[in-house]
Amino acid sequence: MRRLVCILAAVAVWMTGVSSIQAAPNDAYPLAQIEVDNSMAARQRGAVIAIETCMMCHGFKYLRYQDLLDIGMSAEDVDNYRGDNGLLDRLESMTPIEVRKESYGKVPPDLTLMTIARKHGPEYVYTLLTSYYLDPEENEANHLFPGIRMPDAMGYSFTEPGSTERAEVERNVSDLVSFMVWASDPNAETRKTIGVWVILYLIVLTTLLYLVKRKIWRRVEKLKIENGTVKRP
Amino acid sequence: MIKKSIGWIDERFPLTEIVKHELTEYPVPRNLNYWWNFGFLAMFVLFIQLLSGIFLAMHYKPDVHMAFDSLQHIMRDVNYGWLIRYIHSTGASMFFAVVFIHIARTLYYGSYRKPRELLWWTGLVLLLLLMATAFMGYLLPWGQMSYWGAQVITSLFGTTPVYGDDIVRWLRGDFVVGDATLTRFFALHYLFPFIIVAAVGIHVVALHWVKSSNPSGITLQAKDNIPFHPYFTIKDLFGLGVFLIIFSAFVFFGPEFWIMPENNVPADPMVTPPHIVPEWYFLPFYAILRSIPDALGGVVAMFMSILIFAAMPWLDRSKIPGGALYRPYYRVMVYIFLVDVLVLSYVGAKPPEGHLIVIGQVATFVYFGLFLLLPVISKREDRRTRETGLPPAALALMAEERDELSRSEHYLRREEDLKVMSKGKRKGEGA
Repeated sequence: MRRLVCILAAVAVWMTGVSSIQAAPNDAYPLAQIEVDNSMAARQRGAVIAIETCMMCHGFKYLRYQDLLDIGMSAEDVDNYRGDNGLLDRLESMTPIEVRKESYGKVPPDLTLMTIARKHGPEYVYTLLTSYYLDPEENEANHLFPGIRMPDAMGYSFTEPGSTERAEVERNVSDLVSFMVWASDPNAETRKTIGVWVILYLIVLTTLLYLVKRKIWRRVEKLKIENGTVKRP
Repeated sequence: MIKKSIGWIDERFPLTEIVKHELTEYPVPRNLNYWWNFGFLAMFVLFIQLLSGIFLAMHYKPDVHMAFDSLQHIMRDVNYGWLIRYIHSTGASMFFAVVFIHIARTLYYGSYRKPRELLWWTGLVLLLLLMATAFMGYLLPWGQMSYWGAQVITSLFGTTPVYGDDIVRWLRGDFVVGDATLTRFFALHYLFPFIIVAAVGIHVVALHWVKSSNPSGITLQAKDNIPFHPYFTIKDLFGLGVFLIIFSAFVFFGPEFWIMPENNVPADPMVTPPHIVPEWYFLPFYAILRSIPDALGGVVAMFMSILIFAAMPWLDRSKIPGGALYRPYYRVMVYIFLVDVLVLSYVGAKPPEGHLIVIGQVATFVYFGLFLLLPVISKREDRRTRETGLPPAALALMAEERDELSRSEHYLRREEDLKVMSKGKRKGEGA
C-alpha cells in the first residue's frame, strides 16, 4: 500500500515538476455552527464588505456588477461601487495581479465559489474569519488555518472577547457569508422554486400512473403456488 | 388514412412486425417484481445524459484555460444552463446507482445463468463503457479532483511492464494531463455514449431472444407470460415516475451533493489535494487497488474485480434453477458480497491509514474469496438440495416447465435443470 502511494506520489511529482506542499487548514479545528441569513439586506451588506474589503486582494470574477441588482442593490449604489468599471464588467480585485502575487507569494484565490469549494463552505469561511488571534509576539495568526498568509482583514483579532466591537465583526462576517453563499449559486432560489412545482407535478403524475397500472394489472391474476401446485383462476 | 400509411410502410419495412414482436406480443413473465424496472431506467438515464450532454457541449470549451470558466458561463449566463448541468452531473451518479441495482438484481436472481450468458457479458461490456465514459467526463469540469483523478488513474497504466510510460503518454497525449488530454477526453466523452447506445441495442436484442428471467428462475409456461405492452410499459412508466421524483429532488434541492467541493476549485498542477478520491461509483474498485501492497498487483486486482463477473456462469456450478430464491447458501453469499462492496466503498473514501488498511485488505480478500468459493459452495448446495429436495413451489413450477417442454420445442430447454428436478422430486415425494 505505502509503496503504491509512494509510486503514485513520485509519478505525480515527476509529472508536474514541482509539487509544493503548502500550509493547509487544520481539519481537527471545530467549525462554528451558523445559520446563513438569506435575506436581501444581509446579502447587500455582505456585498459592500466584499467590495470594500475582500476585493482589495480577491476577485469575484464570475459575478458582474449588474448581478448586484439581483440582490436588490439600487442602481445608484451599484454605480457608486463599480467606479470606472462597466455594468457588465466582472468583480475583479482592485489591485493588479503582479502586486498581489508579490505580496502573498501567490495570487489570492477567487472567492465566487468559495462557499462550495470547501467542505461545509459557509461554516468554513465564517470560522476562518473569526479564528484570527494575536500570538505572544503580537503577530496575527489563525487557529483554523495555521500559517495562512491572508491578514486579518475583518479585524477580528484586534477586538476584545465579549466586546461590542467583536460582536460587530461577527455580524459583518455573517453578512459576508450570506453574500458569498449567494455568489456561489445565484440561481439557488429560482431552482428551488421550480423544484417544488416539478416535484408536485411528478407526484401527481406518478400517482395517476400508479392508478392506471393497477387498473391494467387487475386483468392479470397473481401466480399462486400452494402446496406444490400452481393455481390459476 | 393512418391505416393506409402504415400499410404502405409495412410493405417496405416491418414496422407492425417489430411493434408486435418487441412490444404488443413480446412475452414477459407475469411475476416480475420491481427490481426488473432498472434496466429500462438505465436506458432512460442514458438518453437523459445524451440529451443534456449535447446541450452542454454547445456551451462548453475543452481548453485548459477556458474549461472551468465555461462551466460557470453555463451555470450563470446560459438560459437554464444550471438546470442542464445539474441534470447531467446528477444523471451520472444516478446512472451508476441504477446500473448497480440492475447488476445486483442479476446476481441475486441468477439472471446471468444459462441461457443468458451473452446477455450478461454484453451487460458487463456496457458497464466498462459506462465507467470509461464517466471517467473521461469527470475531467471536463477541469476542477482539482478532475485533474488529479485523471492524473492518478492514467498513471496506473504506467505499471504495465516494459511499455508503461509509453502507454501513459499515449493516453494523455502529453507527459502530464494537459490540454491534449482534455481535448481528447472531450472528443471521446462525446463519442462513447453513441457506442453505448449501440451496445444497449445488442443487449436488448440478446434479451429479446432469451426473454426475461423471473424471480423463480424457472422458465414459466406460455400462459404465465403476458405481453410487454401494456403491462410492462405502464409498470415501467410508474417506476420511472418514482425515479424521476428522486432524481428531481437531487437536481433541484441538492445538486452539489454529488459534486466534491474540491472540484469547485480550478485545476492546479502545482497543488496536490491532500486526499485524492474518485467519484463514489469508483470507490469499491479504488479500495481494491489500494489494498494490494504492490502497484502492478493493485492495478491488476482492480481490473479483475470487474472482469471476474464475466466468469460467473462458470463459477456458479449449481444446477438448482434460478438465483437466491431456492438457494440458501448462494443467498447468504450475495448478501455478504453486497455488504462487502459497501465496506470497500467506505474504505475507498477514507485516507489509507491505520486499521482501515487492514479492513480494506480483508474486504478485498472477501470480495475475491466469494467468487473463488462459489464453485465449491454451489456444488455443495446442489448436493444438499438433492437430499432435502426443492421447495414444493419450485417443483410445481418445474413440473409445468417440463410439461410445456415436452409439448413444444422451446429453445429455453434446460436439460440439467430437469435432471436435478426429477431427482429432487423423487426424494421430495418419498419424504
